[in-house]
Amino acid sequence: MPSSSLARVFEEHPQRRYVMFGGKGGLGKTTFSAATAYWLAQRGNKVLVFSVDPQASLSDIFKRDIFGQGPVEIMDNLWAQEIDADRHIKEYQDEIRQKIVDMYGLDKVPDEIEDYIEAASAEPAMEESAIFDSVVDIVVESDYDYYIYDLVPLGHALYYLSMAKVYDEWIGKITHLREEMREEEERAARFRGKKEMDEDKILGELQYIRNRINSASKILTDREKTAFFFVLVPEEMILLDTRKAAEMFAKFDVPIGGYVVNRVIPENLATGDGGLPVYLKNRIEMQRRYLSEIDRTFGDQVLGRVRELERDVTGLDMIERMAQMMYEEG
Amino acid sequence: MERGGAEEREGKEEVPDEAKGKGFLGKVREVIYGMAAHDSARYALRTRASMEHLFILITMGDLLGVPILPPYYSLRLMPYVVPQISTWKRRMLREKDVTDAIF
Repeated sequence: MPSSSLARVFEEHPQRRYVMFGGKGGLGKTTFSAATAYWLAQRGNKVLVFSVDPQASLSDIFKRDIFGQGPVEIMDNLWAQEIDADRHIKEYQDEIRQKIVDMYGLDKVPDEIEDYIEAASAEPAMEESAIFDSVVDIVVESDYDYYIYDLVPLGHALYYLSMAKVYDEWIGKITHLREEMREEEERAARFRGKKEMDEDKILGELQYIRNRINSASKILTDREKTAFFFVLVPEEMILLDTRKAAEMFAKFDVPIGGYVVNRVIPENLATGDGGLPVYLKNRIEMQRRYLSEIDRTFGDQVLGRVRELERDVTGLDMIERMAQMMYEEG
Repeated sequence: MERGGAEEREGKEEVPDEAKGKGFLGKVREVIYGMAAHDSARYALRTRASMEHLFILITMGDLLGVPILPPYYSLRLMPYVVPQISTWKRRMLREKDVTDAIF
């Protein structure tokens, strides 16, 4: 299976501007994201690769500290960004406090409310929502040709995707309740001969929240514009997990663009002289078995096999080499 | 006995300013309002007040330890419901008694 199948997917679908690599932790999502960004940037596209992982590793792979600095230019056309969720939450909290103080002409936020603001931020869901929200900012307000999402490991990614759907439904219900309240108020106002009502600011906020969530989830599930690739390695557990995850992603209408197999031990090692260590021989044998099973399971959706390298992928030189392996060899 | 704030406020208000008028015509308007519309208006306002509490429960449930709306977004709504928070908490946590059915 030549790796350039992956390149063909990009060439045949230039409108797929949102590119995601998903899979279990440690399989090479960040590596593939960086290499893809590099390849696309070299071909003249303006690319942003960004991480939604609180334990992001883009800084490591590009060997530059970019955490929380907004988009950082790595080379011509290639930008990278790591979202600092904590800072985002703090700024957001301050914004809320300021709003309360301004709205009611207070010196400081009442204790009870302050407690709530503090407690809400300690929620684990807060960080994920904050990242989610930052992603909306990035995608809505900037003008890159390609956005490459370096996703969190599978479980989180699923949560992240499902969150959009659940949020949307919830907010739909709450908005509906708010609208009913509005009707009751109008009825009361009519009986009392009151003509004008104050604008319902809360309803406005709810609609704003809904819009934001919708614009994020629309991108994630847009068959035209989104390409989601699974990263896997030829091992039994990974194969099983990927199959399960693929089913779940399909349930959330995420269009799956294909599968890329990473860490394949070069075949020519096996054809060398008889002095091959038993350990390596067994591993190659095992990989062969799972590679054919991967081909059987996912068929022509398998877009490439990437060789196991002799060293880790960090720095632009290695990223370039990885990009060549992914997009030009085969 | 403690009552929910919004409800109590609306309940005490006998005739709203808009229905009050001057002179004979005004009085007639007040009487008609009292006979025909006051109860309906009161009912609508009470319904709205209950919904208001339900709304705050859904959005600010965290305050009682019942997280329902993701906190990130409930914080956005926080500034608008600051005045209602204390009466709402009282209403949610108070014990119910017979008089609830009467008033």
